[in-house]
Amino acid sequence: MFLTTKLANGVSLHIRQTSQFKTVNFAFKFSRPLTVQDAAERAVLANVLQHSNAKFPKSAAFRSYLDDLYGTVLYFDSAKRGDLLKVLLNIETVNDEYLSKGDVLNKVIDLIKTVIFEPNFENGQFVSSIVEREKEMVKQRIESVFDDKTRYAHQRLSQILRPNHPASISANGTIETVDQITAESLTKAYQTMIDEDQIDIYVVGDVDVEAIKSQLQSALQFSDRDVKKPENPTTELKAEKEYTKETQDMKQGKLHIGYSTPIFFGDEDFPKMQVFNGIFGGYAHSKLFMNVRERESLAYYASSSYSSHYGLIYVVSGIEPSKEKKATEVIAEQLEAMKNGEISDLELAQTRAMLKNNLKEALDLARGQIDIFDQYKDFNEAFSIDTWTKRWDEVTKEDIQKVASQVKLEAIYFLCGKEDSQDANN
Amino acid sequence: MQTIEFNQLGETLYYKKLNNGLDVYILPKKGFSKTFVTFTTKYGSIDRTFVPIGESEAITVPDGIAHFLEHKMFEKEEGDVFQKFSESGASANAFTSFTRTAYLFSATDHIYTSTETLLNFVQEPYFTEKTVEKEKGIIGQEITMYDDQPDWRLYFGAIENMYHTHPVKIDIAGTIESIDKITADHLYTCYNTFYHPSNMLLFVVGNVDQTEMMAFIEDNQNKKEFPEPTPIERHFEEEPTDVAIKDRVLNMDVQKPKVYVGLKAKRVDLSGDEMLKHELAVQIALECLFGRASNFYTEVYEGGLIDESFAYDFSLEKGYGFALIGSDSKDPDKLVEAIKNELKKAEDPSYFDAEAVERIKRKKIGFFLRALNSMEFIANQFTRYEFNEMNLFDAVPTIEKITVEDIVKEFDTIQGETQQTVFKVLPMSEKKA
Repeated sequence: MFLTTKLANGVSLHIRQTSQFKTVNFAFKFSRPLTVQDAAERAVLANVLQHSNAKFPKSAAFRSYLDDLYGTVLYFDSAKRGDLLKVLLNIETVNDEYLSKGDVLNKVIDLIKTVIFEPNFENGQFVSSIVEREKEMVKQRIESVFDDKTRYAHQRLSQILRPNHPASISANGTIETVDQITAESLTKAYQTMIDEDQIDIYVVGDVDVEAIKSQLQSALQFSDRDVKKPENPTTELKAEKEYTKETQDMKQGKLHIGYSTPIFFGDEDFPKMQVFNGIFGGYAHSKLFMNVRERESLAYYASSSYSSHYGLIYVVSGIEPSKEKKATEVIAEQLEAMKNGEISDLELAQTRAMLKNNLKEALDLARGQIDIFDQYKDFNEAFSIDTWTKRWDEVTKEDIQKVASQVKLEAIYFLCGKEDSQDANN
Repeated sequence: MQTIEFNQLGETLYYKKLNNGLDVYILPKKGFSKTFVTFTTKYGSIDRTFVPIGESEAITVPDGIAHFLEHKMFEKEEGDVFQKFSESGASANAFTSFTRTAYLFSATDHIYTSTETLLNFVQEPYFTEKTVEKEKGIIGQEITMYDDQPDWRLYFGAIENMYHTHPVKIDIAGTIESIDKITADHLYTCYNTFYHPSNMLLFVVGNVDQTEMMAFIEDNQNKKEFPEPTPIERHFEEEPTDVAIKDRVLNMDVQKPKVYVGLKAKRVDLSGDEMLKHELAVQIALECLFGRASNFYTEVYEGGLIDESFAYDFSLEKGYGFALIGSDSKDPDKLVEAIKNELKKAEDPSYFDAEAVERIKRKKIGFFLRALNSMEFIANQFTRYEFNEMNLFDAVPTIEKITVEDIVKEFDTIQGETQQTVFKVLPMSEKKA
């Protein structure tokens, strides 16, 4: 679906021509191994690059220019995937065809060159006052996790499950690592990103492939680089504690449970784990939804997610704090049922249908096309819906029972109100 | 079947009003594999006092009932409707707002099966005392979940401040106490009154053939019997124009103070083109004053008064309307002062600069064009526009025609000290003695 061109060693351009959308989408993904220091630096770097550049040293002027280009969306972001850290630059602009006048696309390509290669430097480095303000913004973003109890509980559980491991490192770093950043260190991080990162560039829209290829080739002068692969963690993968209860001033109890599986993204058994997770708690027909919510009325939400890059499964549910024991039991029963092979033909058929549908729906979005291609290119095979449908169709009850038997409970985290904490374990 | 062309956008919309009064719209999208269908009733949390169908006296039902009803529609004698959608690989969902309840699914295969499931489950109510009781535990946890969300509490706190009597100030899900009073009989009364096809709209967007789909829907509807449509009588108490409470604080277990300045709208009797122009003009005005390219934004951002959560928005429906401007802030009082100061400056008609207005109009046009890639946006927004007698596809031409004078005039209707309120969520340690 994408046409790939190598711009330099470690730098690839992937273009997909389609008339499906009224806009043209660009995505730049700069990747390097994930560490907490780099995460902090990249988070601040994304904000600083987003703020201004040499052509538009004032943020308001930069924003005005984007508004003028029919509200072209341009934003930098940072994220993690597995043990990789990524700086992302996403751009979406209206296709000229739908405008009565305008030459938006060419201006946007010029602007891409500016935001990547012409940073807002003062004496050869980023402007200190901007760096300091954006450090503050990232710190506030880190702090705001506390105010969202579900996100906070998830963060706590992942820290307990896999301390000092990519699974628990935040893509924003920590307050301490953000504090250490200076204009000088950030400038160095920027140079590293441009010169050393693996870079994947995506274009999706109704574009002239050859024309856009040569335009981008001349606008983006990236040099050859040897891409660094993340090192395998040497520490033992083990949860710090089996059970943790913490309290805050709140009403609901947040029950978050972490499990491990030896099956990772890219493994041969990966499709089996996808089906397992769908039946366990991935959908509204799943065992968790049907039993924790519909049968026992214990929760409004009860679901599981398979974090395939880390070999982890998370179960989340919001419950009445006094029902912690009951909810924990009902959740355990569902996994037990799967280990015993209690899987119906209907559950299997529903899950296959949903997996297939989710994939097809995601491909209806330009961003979905980019993200799926970007992920699945690691499989070293041409991506196709049919290949994946076939894999899910081949999964049997016995397969699911087998992968379920390898799923191991590692840690339970319970967050609830202070006054509920005394009677919660009766 | 009517055909409505939107040439500049390259879209064609098909419409038919069926014999039972149901409005059906179909927007085929070539090149997509997905289809998205919404089935929406013009019934939301604010419709709490009304004359039940076939009766003459108005009644008031327990708060949160529209949302409760939405939950209960999914449970049938033979089981949970989600199961059926899953079998066809369809993702189903529903939501209740102040003015609407929508049931929806998206799918890439078996579209007709899922369309039939959608039409039938929404049109075949099944409520028993037992299933109603069971749902109270589930919704109770949904209410508790929202109670713990500071952003939700901030939003509702600001609305509560603005309204004296209008039910928009009541949480959509109600309270644990109010839902406890709900019975199966209540649900049937609300259902029979508000789920008549003449009060509903079906929107289909995606990979479909309009002729075949329209025939399929019509055939399904013709097999069912409905009473003659009658106009629905809703009752609302008189609502003063000014805000009810000027300033209020809620303490929660949060690290960062949060604040909203609310502006209560005075023009809440609009519909059709007038409403469309009004709402777009107010949105453009807010963007001029508070957008990322504004002087205000630069000052408060550089002054450290806001963070990435800064947002502003304008909501308007029949009977209520408000703008909200706010952010997480280290110094919420200073931020409030800056917002009010900016609003004060905007009382001067010359404050809105023609060049900025043109720029924001272009931005807004770009926004609509981008949004038209999203089937969810099209179906949900089209329905909302239609319930207010506006047309979503008129938005771009209407924006093009808006002038600086329009913006000054329309924005003036939410201006003034009497229309302003402040609501803050503060960390526990900042509790005032």
